[in-house]
Amino acid sequence: MAGLLSYLLRRILFAIPVFLTVSIITFLATNASGDPVAIVRLSIRNPTAVQIAALNAYFHVGEPIYTRYFLWLSDFLHGNLGVSLYTGTVASKIFPWTLTTLELQVPALLLALAIGIPLGVFSAKRQYSKSDVAVTTTAIFGISMPTFWLGIMAIIIFSLNLHWLPSFGAESAYPPYWWGSVPLDQLAHIILPLSVLTLVSLATYVRLIRANMLDALRQDFVLGARASGLSEFTVTYKHALKNAVTPVVTIVGLTFGSLLAGAPALETTFSWPGLGYEFVVAALGTDLPVVLAITMIITIMVLVANIGLDLVYALLDPRVRIS
Amino acid sequence: MVRAVDGVNFTVDKGEPLGLVGESGSGKTVSALSVLGIVPRPGKVVGGKVIFDGEDLLAKPEKEMRKYRGKRIGYVSQDPNSSLDPLFTIGSQLSEVVQAHEKVTKERASEKVLELLQRVRISEPEARMKAYPHELSGGMRQRIAIARALAGEPDLLIADEPTTNLDVTIQAQVLDLLKDLQRELGMTLILITHDMGIVAEMTKKVVVLYAGRVAEIASTRETFATPKHPYTSALLKAVPRVDRRKELVPIGGNIPNLITPPSGCRFHPRCKFVQEICVAKEPPLEAIGGGREVSCHRWKEITVEGAS
Amino acid sequence: MQEEVQLPSQHEVHSPRGAGQWAVAWRRFKRNRSGLAGLAMICFFALLAAYGLFLDPVPARSFACLYQGCTNLPPFTDWAHPLGTEPAGIDVWQEIIHGSAGDLYVGVGATAISIAIGVVVGAVAGYRAGVVGALLLGVTQIFFVLPVLIFILLFARIAILLVAQGLGLSLIVVILGIFGWTSIAFIVRGEIFRIKELEYIQASRALGASANRILFRHIVPNVLSPIIVVSSLLVAANILTEVVISFLGFSDPSASTWGLLLEEGLQYVRSSWWVSFFPGLAVVFCVLGFNLLGDGLSDALNPRLRE
Repeated sequence: MAGLLSYLLRRILFAIPVFLTVSIITFLATNASGDPVAIVRLSIRNPTAVQIAALNAYFHVGEPIYTRYFLWLSDFLHGNLGVSLYTGTVASKIFPWTLTTLELQVPALLLALAIGIPLGVFSAKRQYSKSDVAVTTTAIFGISMPTFWLGIMAIIIFSLNLHWLPSFGAESAYPPYWWGSVPLDQLAHIILPLSVLTLVSLATYVRLIRANMLDALRQDFVLGARASGLSEFTVTYKHALKNAVTPVVTIVGLTFGSLLAGAPALETTFSWPGLGYEFVVAALGTDLPVVLAITMIITIMVLVANIGLDLVYALLDPRVRIS
Repeated sequence: MVRAVDGVNFTVDKGEPLGLVGESGSGKTVSALSVLGIVPRPGKVVGGKVIFDGEDLLAKPEKEMRKYRGKRIGYVSQDPNSSLDPLFTIGSQLSEVVQAHEKVTKERASEKVLELLQRVRISEPEARMKAYPHELSGGMRQRIAIARALAGEPDLLIADEPTTNLDVTIQAQVLDLLKDLQRELGMTLILITHDMGIVAEMTKKVVVLYAGRVAEIASTRETFATPKHPYTSALLKAVPRVDRRKELVPIGGNIPNLITPPSGCRFHPRCKFVQEICVAKEPPLEAIGGGREVSCHRWKEITVEGAS
Repeated sequence: MQEEVQLPSQHEVHSPRGAGQWAVAWRRFKRNRSGLAGLAMICFFALLAAYGLFLDPVPARSFACLYQGCTNLPPFTDWAHPLGTEPAGIDVWQEIIHGSAGDLYVGVGATAISIAIGVVVGAVAGYRAGVVGALLLGVTQIFFVLPVLIFILLFARIAILLVAQGLGLSLIVVILGIFGWTSIAFIVRGEIFRIKELEYIQASRALGASANRILFRHIVPNVLSPIIVVSSLLVAANILTEVVISFLGFSDPSASTWGLLLEEGLQYVRSSWWVSFFPGLAVVFCVLGFNLLGDGLSDALNPRLRE
């Protein structure tokens, strides 16, 4: 256990410089010309005096760049995320936006793993068979497809033609509610984006698990376990699978970053009001405080998720716990 | 398609240590795995019989075969680095096998695991039980693999090159262990190796394989003193010996490609006694008296050198 | 980005790759049907791109149909506009042709930049360990972990605002290239580490081979094969990323890409499904081509023994 604790501490320690580096890069990017108001003017004609004042205050314009960075950082860590050009204070909005994104991403991830792992094992055990070929072909199409395109197709079929499901938003703004009540209405809204996201993520995990299972099943210890009389079930699901899934844990961590980052396109397609959607709106409208805040929040989420997953990995694989 | 093993026939007597010898690719491991019915896909057994204690194992369905594995026939593979699952403790892997063979409580299983570890001469067995494979040395891991193979108290143990990947000093320890175990338990041992030195020390009977076929079967003494097959002789001459000032004579040529094997006798491209008939016709495995068998067209005419 | 580029599996290095080894790999590749299919798909789009750049009478982003009265045509109704037209007048098939050039340019160009940076960084980190190596490793790991797309979007937006418009896709190429070198660097570093320690390298050194000779005769050919495999997969990933970037409107609106078509497709989703369907299909097959090629190359260069 001591090994685990020190591993955890090391991961957290490593995350801090990453966070700081990212914050520096992001801050510098949004302040590239030294005058954030000038950047805003490039895309919006006339920011109001109030907005100009708020921007200058938030970015501490007038001080040298490094002072501005530290002032901003301290503001950020204290919860002052600035004022958006369009939607009020950022701090009040960031939490609901985050929840909305997670509402979509987390179930999709869990579903993709829940379906992908058994499917990958199934495919690996039947290597070279017709079902294996079917699975791998579908999977390779899946990873070649833009998620949002599948979303658009889903909207066309299920929403516009069949009228079974709504095509935008996380819930209806006013009655009549889909399928009758508010909770069912929310369920109806989440089905399409969730299914699309799950299917595309599924493809990646099936390929990964299948490849890892094939490797694991070739290992000597699988032979040894079989030879000592353990049942095929134990050999496959206790030994081979654990060995196959363990590297997937880190991959999930890596892809979680791209999943969260990939949210913008899918959320835009469905007008799903999460971090990705709001990021796109803010970036296109040069709403700098929002852009900064969302970038940092997503970075924090990715770092936390990675630390958590690294911990799970260390729990699964004892070899990792040594320095 | 490759026929890894094509017409291999031999018998092992109960309690007798047998050596299965040959270069890599000669079909030694595949033969052993066929006995247990665990030839890895896409390979499969297409014919033949494995008679164990009066019954043909190859004819048995998978469910019944599983009762033999570990319980009547044990297997130790050659790589101590990968024969144990790196993600589980030694204790859990061994008790898992113990519990697969008999219905005992966890506590009783742990006691048996301790006994097993003591039997294979692992020091501090209680501490080792909580260890993971990567925390132990190669020699220890190999002994634990042997312990796992013995957990079901099998009548036959197949040890597949058990010392190839170990240091020489550890090799000696593991071989001693195998010898003592074999004597104490009255176990039948099939020792697969390419090292004639180990054969000399450990076995009473030798089966020499070449390219998936049997070259020669004889008692160990006869094999060393008066081999009949040119390949056996070549193997003996290739063993380096520190005590004699003899030149190492390598066997010329390469291991045959089993997808397109040589015609006739598979050893003919590398044999110095080769004649027309060797290229044209495959030599049958003949019994030549005293329990010896040879597959060479010219065994009567030629004299091959033994170990000296 | 759709996914992180997956690293190829370990392969055995038994001997230095002579010219013969490449020929063997090529023969193995020719027998791999899906790899060949991938190559065929890529060639198809390359031909389309070439046609669009040099031979096509219709220019990119042409709204001609507004004036010719052929807007919002469904597909397969008029053979002059086989895949239909947008309400705004753009011909879908024509734009797919021009978009091929745009997306291939971004995909291949960004990958080239990533390879250039990645090889240098990876080689330095691998060959000369120590502080420089550790630092590079740290930077690589940071890039690996980050939500890269967000940063790409951020930089693309700021760059397009600050730098004059009309640089078109080259800006995107550079940005993607800068954010994509980490997997290559990782692989190169890993390979160099592994090969450095192999016995035959040490033997070469003992025999007096100079560092250069070792580098070029032994290390380079062995590092080359995983790089080749990853390059194909990287192009696939870059094309997907590009499609997302232009779909969201972060790219140059005068440059013709499939993502732009898809953005318009979403706009017209209620009236004209073909504006989303066909460009998306083009993306799928182009990316599929590079993925299949990558898998095929991986099998050819690092064969898993089947017995």
